[in-house]
Amino acid sequence: MKNRCLLVFMLLTLPALPQADRTCHAAKGKGVCHAGQCDFLLAAPVKSFDSGDSNRDLHMLQVTRGAQFPIVSVRLRLPEANLASPTLDCDLEVQFAGNTAHYSHVPFTQIVEGTVHHITGTVPSTLTDFKIDPPSFFTVPIKNEIPVRVDAIWHPL
Amino acid sequence: MRMKIDLKIMRPASGVAALLFVLAHTVALSAQVASFTLPDAPTPNLLAFADGQQSPTQATPPATSSSSPQTPSKTGAPPSLGDLGLSPEQIQGNAQAQALLDKRTHMLKVHQRLGLLTTIPLATTLFASAGAPCNHNCGPSAGADFHAALGSVSVGMYAATAYYAIRAPRIPGTEKKGAIRWHEALIWIHGPGFILTPILGAMALSQQDNGQKVHGIAAAHSAVAVTTFAAYGASIVAVSWPIHVKFWEHQ
Repeated sequence: MKNRCLLVFMLLTLPALPQADRTCHAAKGKGVCHAGQCDFLLAAPVKSFDSGDSNRDLHMLQVTRGAQFPIVSVRLRLPEANLASPTLDCDLEVQFAGNTAHYSHVPFTQIVEGTVHHITGTVPSTLTDFKIDPPSFFTVPIKNEIPVRVDAIWHPL
Repeated sequence: MRMKIDLKIMRPASGVAALLFVLAHTVALSAQVASFTLPDAPTPNLLAFADGQQSPTQATPPATSSSSPQTPSKTGAPPSLGDLGLSPEQIQGNAQAQALLDKRTHMLKVHQRLGLLTTIPLATTLFASAGAPCNHNCGPSAGADFHAALGSVSVGMYAATAYYAIRAPRIPGTEKKGAIRWHEALIWIHGPGFILTPILGAMALSQQDNGQKVHGIAAAHSAVAVTTFAAYGASIVAVSWPIHVKFWEHQ
């Protein structure tokens, strides 16, 4: 994996909050490989998640304390030898809403076509992982689960 | 008798006065825009991956200025947010902007609850209207008084509901998208409707109490009221509709 440099288009989808899928096209990230290990950092501004309804997005921003903690970031480390594997077993460290949650053995699938890597997977996150009070509508709270779907296409530079 | 008529007119008039008080603040408050801005989202949507040994032909990231709090990581070190090209403004939180969002959400929650609660006297007023008009031998009637009292409560609650929506802080740089546009557009129907309906109702009540059949512009009271109620209901449905249910979009 010498001299590898890839560009990635990444699509993050954050459902729920409240009961609507929100898609982010503004994610940025970088991976650095050294001594057989690759460290990755992915980040996206919380306000860039878009459901198509500006009113609900502002409520999402408030609930997730998106103005106080404007970035959601994901860190992971992979063995360099596994980068072309069809399945990636990742240990993730996610920072969101001022809190950090760890997810072990999150599976991602990868399709490699030439130099293009298409990676998909879901981070099984919940509101309680980040100490977010679930918004409620007349005392009925929304679902606790906020799985983050990741859809990334990697292109070499 | 004279005093009784005055009181009847005063009842809906008090609701209208409350509504006008709120609307009088609309012009001034609609211009109220909070000075706190949320951090900007970065425009690129590209992620970079590189190993520790950089290729001579590889584009190197731009040097970070000395003013940046996060400098690019050294070779082999885990990447930092500064490496991603995020500016300090994008990374740093803004407690004042968060407080503004908190205030906005709080006020709109009150607006939502009051708005839903307003449907109760509003619907009851509509049902009570069955006993309000006279067919013959017009004069003071308990049915008309009850209908007028319920209408006054509805208008008062509507005014309080509007107050919380108008006073909720605006978030600058937010482009309105989705159902909120319908919700706000319908104000142009039910807003004037909530002013006209009690005025026409007071006129109708006055005519009826004087032994006359309702005539002239006051005869439009029920039509205006029903239109107002329909627009108000549609406004609630617009922002309560499950966002993922789009029956107008075919697979």
